[in-house]
Amino acid sequence: MMDEEPERAKRWEGGYERTWEVLKEDESGSLKATVEEILFQSKRKRVIENYGKVRLGMMRHLYVVVDCSRSMDDHDLKPNRLTSTLKLMEAFVEEYFDQNPISQLGIITTKNKRAEKLTDLAGNPKKHTAALKKAVDTVCVGEPSLYNSLNLSIQTLKHMPGHTSREILIILSSLTTCDPANICELIKTLKSLKVRVSVIGLSAEVRVCTVLTRETGGSYHVILDESHFKELLMLHVRPPPVSSSSECSLIRMGFPQHIIASLTDQDAKPSFSMSQLDSNSSEAALTLGGYFCPQCHTKYTELPVECKVCGLTLVSAPHLARSFHHLFPLQAFTESPTEELQEDRFCQACQGELKDKSIFSCPSCGSAFCVECDFFIHDSLHCCPGCIHSQTAP
Amino acid sequence: MKLNIDGLLVYFPYDYIYPEQYSYMLELKRTLDAKGHGVLEMPSGTGKTISLLSLIVAYQKAFPLEVTKLIYCSRTVPEIEKVVEELRKLMEFYSKQTGESNNFLALALSSRKNLCIHPEVSALRFGKEVDGKCHSLTASYIRAQRHADPDQPVCRFYEEFDSVGRQVPLPAGIYNLDDLKDFGRRKGWCPYYLARYSILHANIVVYSYHYLLDPKIADLVSKELAKKSVVVFDEAHNIDNVCIDSMSVNITRRTLDRCQTNVDTLQNTIQNIKETDAVKLKQEYRRLVEGLKEANVARETDVYLANPVLPDEILQEAVPGTIRTAEHFVGFLRRFLEYLKSRLRVHHVVQESTPQFLKDIFDKVCIDRKPLRFCAERLQSLLRTLEIADIADFSAVTLISNFATLVSTYSQGFTIIIEPFEDRTPTIANPVLHFSCMDPSIAIKPVFQRFQSVIITSGTLSPLDIYPRILDFRPVTMASFTMTLARTCLCPLIVGRGNDQVALSSKFETREDFAVIRNYGNLLLEMSAVVPDGIVAFFTSYVYMENIVASWYEQGILENIQRNKLIFIETPDAAETSMALEKYQEACENGRGAILLSVARGKVSEGIDFVHHFGRAVIMFGVPYVYTQSRILKARLEYLRDQFQIRENDFLTFDAMRHAAQCVGRAIRGKTDYGLMIFADKRYARADKRGKLPRWIQEHINDGSLNLTVDEAVHLSKHFLRQMAQPFKQEDQLGLSLLTLEQLESEEMLQKIAQIAHQT
Repeated sequence: MMDEEPERAKRWEGGYERTWEVLKEDESGSLKATVEEILFQSKRKRVIENYGKVRLGMMRHLYVVVDCSRSMDDHDLKPNRLTSTLKLMEAFVEEYFDQNPISQLGIITTKNKRAEKLTDLAGNPKKHTAALKKAVDTVCVGEPSLYNSLNLSIQTLKHMPGHTSREILIILSSLTTCDPANICELIKTLKSLKVRVSVIGLSAEVRVCTVLTRETGGSYHVILDESHFKELLMLHVRPPPVSSSSECSLIRMGFPQHIIASLTDQDAKPSFSMSQLDSNSSEAALTLGGYFCPQCHTKYTELPVECKVCGLTLVSAPHLARSFHHLFPLQAFTESPTEELQEDRFCQACQGELKDKSIFSCPSCGSAFCVECDFFIHDSLHCCPGCIHSQTAP
Repeated sequence: MKLNIDGLLVYFPYDYIYPEQYSYMLELKRTLDAKGHGVLEMPSGTGKTISLLSLIVAYQKAFPLEVTKLIYCSRTVPEIEKVVEELRKLMEFYSKQTGESNNFLALALSSRKNLCIHPEVSALRFGKEVDGKCHSLTASYIRAQRHADPDQPVCRFYEEFDSVGRQVPLPAGIYNLDDLKDFGRRKGWCPYYLARYSILHANIVVYSYHYLLDPKIADLVSKELAKKSVVVFDEAHNIDNVCIDSMSVNITRRTLDRCQTNVDTLQNTIQNIKETDAVKLKQEYRRLVEGLKEANVARETDVYLANPVLPDEILQEAVPGTIRTAEHFVGFLRRFLEYLKSRLRVHHVVQESTPQFLKDIFDKVCIDRKPLRFCAERLQSLLRTLEIADIADFSAVTLISNFATLVSTYSQGFTIIIEPFEDRTPTIANPVLHFSCMDPSIAIKPVFQRFQSVIITSGTLSPLDIYPRILDFRPVTMASFTMTLARTCLCPLIVGRGNDQVALSSKFETREDFAVIRNYGNLLLEMSAVVPDGIVAFFTSYVYMENIVASWYEQGILENIQRNKLIFIETPDAAETSMALEKYQEACENGRGAILLSVARGKVSEGIDFVHHFGRAVIMFGVPYVYTQSRILKARLEYLRDQFQIRENDFLTFDAMRHAAQCVGRAIRGKTDYGLMIFADKRYARADKRGKLPRWIQEHINDGSLNLTVDEAVHLSKHFLRQMAQPFKQEDQLGLSLLTLEQLESEEMLQKIAQIAHQT
């Protein structure tokens, strides 16, 4: 159809769609400055929600429910909602395990009034990404069922120990849900089980989700376009604060060393990993090295994992260290105009010239950074290079 | 907060205020200062009620001699209760701020059905039954009989009120219907009579339109209200129809049959009384000779509200001799009845004016105009004399006598139409005599003349200038206010074409067109897929809705829609509709989503609010013109043209657009709410239609959304709904559409506020 085409083309520029409302001409009558300003702001727009001194649920058990109903065929995300969602999910899974190494994740799909488990709760990103890749070909039919998917997740989540955080994240595209029973009862159950349910809506605000998230203490967002979708999804990477009423306890953990028997050692015998024995034998291979549980000496090739034999949580020390930054997040850098900077105008991190209007400086050591590096430091490094530098070189 | 409105100290019980509320109060103050009438339009959900109340109460406190009473008229019982609750909040704020205890008396008044606390009477289901039963317990002669015979049943609440309650005024405070009942129970007084008695000295009275507009009720309840009152008609966009309905009479053959039995009963009772107590009838006769002097005296002292049914001249005359005795009067009624029966035996439609009717009745049965005029009054007197307990039984004969009085009193503004059958069923004889009022100003004139200030206000009064014309009064202020918004929370779209470029319209020629019906179905189907929770769809009439839905069913569209949402339908039956509404809300609540198919001018379009998720979109299929072939309407249009120089087309469009605005306005009930308004008819794009929508809707229709296809509308809706789903907090509104006191007092804001009111 003729008039469809220009409409489609506009969607490409999703992020800028409303910019004319904020456009202002500068003295020379050019719009360039404001456009740059908008770009800059969108870069800067980062969620610096400082929780302050709260306890975070570091051990997370998260079920992601992906809607696979008819409405996922919609083409408003390219190439369609399902493919786009699954792709973003892959990135999310990676990021999730990167930031929360001692947590677990499972994926549930819902379509045709039913809910099915795509993957069980597990700490291995590979399995999830493989499953997600496979799911691209799913046929999207029927209506989703919120009730069934929540119920299915509860079945597993309710057996999780009380000190862990139980979460469900629903990616809902449909505006309707087909439930076998009253969902309000289920919401009460969720509340009593302290399961936090968050929803990302792909089309519009649905009342039942508002209630669901409000009651269970989760968050509810609706996407504007694909980049916003990604942003919202990444919000869920950060561990949420736990309610004060949740249990806390000391957990026994094992820190197995990775031991590789040298080939020259005659006594060394190749062996299977416990985790591979369970799954399809096609991947199972005899290896020489691995992680051995300090309690029962079962061998695993990957961490973190819960020992199949003695039930001990096995993690590696770097894993724990990596989740550490959530507890003591790096302070937000202060923004100031570039003109105020007295010294030479170079970024302390990338050594590039500071050309933007404003710079960002660390409140504790005072080093100046460009916006790109500020981004990188807060998102990936989680520590200020300037501070580290001053610590190590007195 | 405390506001300074043009030099008047106004207490406003909230910490924040909308700019338009401030502007509204300014206009209101001007109206009260000028002691004139006002027409004010402000969108629903912007706090009209509290603005009205806080300003008028402040005015009353500041100038207790200028304005003694506020009479607040609303439409339904829930609305009345809402107003009283707002008032309570305001009064609590007053006493907290000033530290004095509140010396205001404010109360709500409703029918006996809502106020009765008598264990047996209040258990009855229908209003009429309650009224009748109450009357049979409390009428003066019943109570007189009780002196002779103490075993007669009696209402102890009324007795207690009558002996004690009249001396002790109701203590100051705010009384909602339930508070009155509680108070009544505690004291053992009848709350209904207590309320009716107390409105005379109350500072604020909240009740229904009918207590002021319907001459039959107004005469009982409101006639002694002080002249220095401010009258507010809220939700007054339909006030002309209320006026007309209160003055119109429909007579069917069934009415006449019941009337016949009434007359027979009267005859028998007279016979009985004559044998037992002839003195009583003689006394009545003597009283009638004296004339209605008593009533006359009362009117002269300017205490009473003029009753439009009985003009002044009548009161000065005595009841004519021909109907003075009871038997003669009954004979007279019989003759009149027979005449009406003969008129209903017609085979073709008759339309005549009141003088024609009077001439005909004189020629045929020799009934003069004069006795007809006294008919209603004479019947009341007779019923009193005969001590008939259950008035409800005599509703038919009362109706006929009211008709007789009206028809002989007004030579202008009324028409008589006799239809032998309904237009839809020409084979079934069902004669009806419509005595129809065409001039709404007749019923409301006494109100305008009597009270110092009358304020007509609603969310949809556009175009403002038409109301003063059809109600025949001169307002001192007419203003329309827009809604200041921090985000554009309403999205009016005019869908003029289907995806196949077929023009969408409900006009008569294309009504049966398959392509149009299919495209309408397509629109609903596509919308059901992108709009969350509830959608309300309005059709122009029940017949049209039935046709379309049947056709959709055949084409399989309904089935497809039901995959997205459940479908509920409004029917003329009230119980069925309220059931459908309940289920509709449940479906919206638990995420299944629902569509309510209803009718413009129906119960849903007038009284039910669809806040937030209950109405995310309203679709108006077609332009809701009134059924133009109706003879009553034709007569009214002719009258409007001749008397007020309003062209037929202007009035029809005005009427259609105010109903359309009412329908789509159901979705937006506040600034945090949001909703789509879809006008599915290409005629809405024309300037004459669009220009008659309220300003707050009009200003959001941009040229780009005038003639959309279904696809384009879907695309815009998707975008809108996503935008609206983004978090919206109170802080976002502050300073823009929600103000603190400091913000309000800034110079810049005051300038902005001055622009909100749109004077006409």
